[in-house]
Amino acid sequence: MTKNLSRRDFFKTSGIFAAATALAACQPSTEVTEQTFPTLAPVPDSSPAPLPAETLDDEALLRHTLKRISFGVTPAMLAHARSIGLDAYIEEQLSPEKHDNTALEKDVSNFATLSMTPKERFELEKYAQPIVELIGATLLRQWRSESQLYEVMADFWTNHFNIYLAKNPCRVLKADDDRDVIRAHTFGKFAEILSASAHSPAMLTYLDQATSTKRAPNENYARELLELHTLGVDGGYTHEDILELARVLTGWSATGFRDTFREQGQFTFRVRAHDDGQKQVMGMVVPAGERQAGGEMVLEMLASHRMTAQFISTKLARRFVADDPPASLISKLTQVFSDTEGDTKEMLRTLLKSDEFKASAGQKIKRPLEFFISALRVTGAEIKRTPRALTEHLRNMGQVPFSWSPPTGFPDYADWWTTTSGMLNRWNFALLLTGGMVQGVELDLKALTTDAASAQDVVDVLSIRFLGEKLPDNARDILVDYAAADLEKTLPEVAGLILGSPHFQMR
Amino acid sequence: MKKQLSRRDFLKLSGMFGSIALAPSLGQAPRFSFAPQGIEPQGDMLVVVFLRGAIDALNAVVPHAESRYYDLRPELAIPEPKMDNDQTAIDLDGFFSLHPALRPLKDLWDEQSLAIVHAVGSPHETHSHFDAQDYMESGTPGTKLDSGWVGRHLQSAPWLNDSPFRAIGMGGVLQSAMRGTVPVTTLRSIADFHLQGRPKSLAEMQQNMASIYALGSPLDALAAETFSAVNTLSQVDVSNYTPEGGAEYPESDFANDMQQVAQIIKSDIEMEVACVDFGGWDTHNQQGVIDGTFATLLSQLATAISAFYRDLGSRAQKVTLVTMSEFGRRAYENGSGGTDHGHGGLMMLLGGNVNGGKIYTDWPGLAEENLYGPGDLAVTTDFRDVLSEVLLKRLANPNQHNVFPDYANWKDLGILRSG
Repeated sequence: MTKNLSRRDFFKTSGIFAAATALAACQPSTEVTEQTFPTLAPVPDSSPAPLPAETLDDEALLRHTLKRISFGVTPAMLAHARSIGLDAYIEEQLSPEKHDNTALEKDVSNFATLSMTPKERFELEKYAQPIVELIGATLLRQWRSESQLYEVMADFWTNHFNIYLAKNPCRVLKADDDRDVIRAHTFGKFAEILSASAHSPAMLTYLDQATSTKRAPNENYARELLELHTLGVDGGYTHEDILELARVLTGWSATGFRDTFREQGQFTFRVRAHDDGQKQVMGMVVPAGERQAGGEMVLEMLASHRMTAQFISTKLARRFVADDPPASLISKLTQVFSDTEGDTKEMLRTLLKSDEFKASAGQKIKRPLEFFISALRVTGAEIKRTPRALTEHLRNMGQVPFSWSPPTGFPDYADWWTTTSGMLNRWNFALLLTGGMVQGVELDLKALTTDAASAQDVVDVLSIRFLGEKLPDNARDILVDYAAADLEKTLPEVAGLILGSPHFQMR
Repeated sequence: MKKQLSRRDFLKLSGMFGSIALAPSLGQAPRFSFAPQGIEPQGDMLVVVFLRGAIDALNAVVPHAESRYYDLRPELAIPEPKMDNDQTAIDLDGFFSLHPALRPLKDLWDEQSLAIVHAVGSPHETHSHFDAQDYMESGTPGTKLDSGWVGRHLQSAPWLNDSPFRAIGMGGVLQSAMRGTVPVTTLRSIADFHLQGRPKSLAEMQQNMASIYALGSPLDALAAETFSAVNTLSQVDVSNYTPEGGAEYPESDFANDMQQVAQIIKSDIEMEVACVDFGGWDTHNQQGVIDGTFATLLSQLATAISAFYRDLGSRAQKVTLVTMSEFGRRAYENGSGGTDHGHGGLMMLLGGNVNGGKIYTDWPGLAEENLYGPGDLAVTTDFRDVLSEVLLKRLANPNQHNVFPDYANWKDLGILRSG
């Protein structure tokens, strides 16, 4: 049977892409810093591409790693990583307490609602202010933080424990969840972040747990706790387990959200709403009379369950390595999870040093958020706050933080994002940004190209800044031809074309 | 390796990017000809509306004559129909009635353009939104596939159609029902679907961007599809759209999507299928009765669909709209004024060739022994029966076995007229 090669097949076969890149890197060549897109041919779905053992040279591996652990590789990052070496750089990224984010956090503190109580947020005249400011703070941190890997992981957990910010009362509660659940445990152990999330008023109201009672248990949170937060949909639980877990969790609730936050929005265990009979979840008997401790027992069991270890490992590998990550890597990470009680840092160390990671260049496309932030980072754009116009671009691309309404979090596979309108929105943002047409953003492209005397220079300087390396000759020639007509006039479009090019879409 | 000539290859060969026309001001709507002569697309244009989150079928189309309904839903039940009382259900056939927020659909029902299928759904037991949507959109309950039923329909239909608008995913989303080898154009806004940037450089920019995306990257095919869609849409006058038949679209994202689908249908750009999402139906909590969250959703649904149908005018003869949802909700209400995930649900069909004004159901009843699993309305009609009928009678695609593999013995309910 002959088969048309769809773009979706391309991403499945991108193992070949990486392998070919690797081959190119092994050949003695003066052009090793160039990326090339090899000709792809369809392969039978069942035959996974073999992993080359040694894949990238040191410099290519460094760039590959930095792309994956950040929201965009700036020249400063690259220079610093080169000077201290990749291993030391990864360790530094795993120690965000050593970074100086003082100026950034001072700007973030201008978002007054972040430090308000839920009641204060609730009483604000501007209904949307808590929403706008949490989104603004998040984008600001992703854009400017020195702790890039921390921000990438904060985004990972934000999606894993997804909460839709526009759902009431999450609007006034999510900022606490962001601070006390996600950011407090971003580099922590899984049991800790799971427990924090299960005690989070934002989560308990988002998934209707807060109103679940003995008389009428609501199974929404219990289901998603198993399906999305811990075991995964194929994790071996039954409908009976969901119903029993819903009974275990009756009474897990929050204060304040049912009235006008006369009480602060805090976790509370409502004894009178709790079903205190005996239950059984995944074979674990929760004896009668345990009250809140019964829920804590089940959470601990779920946090250390082998299926949870595998599910979290798969998602982590999907985030950092490939949409369909290699089973060998998942198995390694699952072991680390089990050995370390799900220590995020240890899993990241193993992942980033694995052969599977090294062989995965070109296998992940940037999602819109990563595309958007990286364009701002590499161009050295200046933004004072996050004007509405800026988030509007992100909205068009479909990835404003906290705006995914189902509990799954934003999809992490290319198929979802590689659409015609998605492609067009990327080009448009690139061209509007470099054309100085994005409201509230200032950009000095001339300052980036002061030493460039020829069209070749302009294209190379910008490519190296935006991509970390020169464009391949065929793409470079197109841009040089265009720039040569009038270096000054074409500068914004040359920059826009590089940001819009396929090379800038890859992580 | 032998390879069929795809639209993408065709575009490359014909050097379409060499002659980019940016929104020429034509005096009249241009004629498009994407399909090679002699094998033009046959059948209706299909609009699939997916109600994501699982619509509460029992409160949308109410079995008011079954008293058990009122036992199961002491707080949430819709009062049984009473003449001249708009706070009660609207009687359809003496047994079933519409939620009053669906009032606009009653006219379509009376005109026999609207049919309802009740206790319909997937035989798979899952109560997970995400699994259930996957199975329903792939058209293969219990089996995960990389392709969707709409995608396989387009692939197996016995004609060619190279229009970039052959299949469109509204909301900028590629619905998984459309996955397959036939390219899909995703669209959020017709008016904004063009290259932006500094105006003077745009034509040149499009050409340069197209050149950069013709060098063998994994995104080249997608870029070609995008430019093709941009070029086609640039010739559609979007600024002066006036709906026909006095149709008034309400203010909502869903209505906006529906209006744009109508616009595309009327532009004659060879659309075959449009998928439209409408989310927010996961009403676990305080869903309301006559008013409230659920009623608001129903009202948005009914007003938008009704406006869409009026707007189509005589073209309605060549359009079939079908609504679906991953499952229904629990027959019992829960303690939070809402309903949990259930099983049997609802589909609606609207079009010029629908045998409407009728409910199609093998009603399982709501007695305890007839409920499914944890207390759900049972599924007595497989959603693939309904879609197979759409496929064969209205879409003129005889390859049912490709679209719904292992489901050859589908049941013809007679919801649609052939031809």
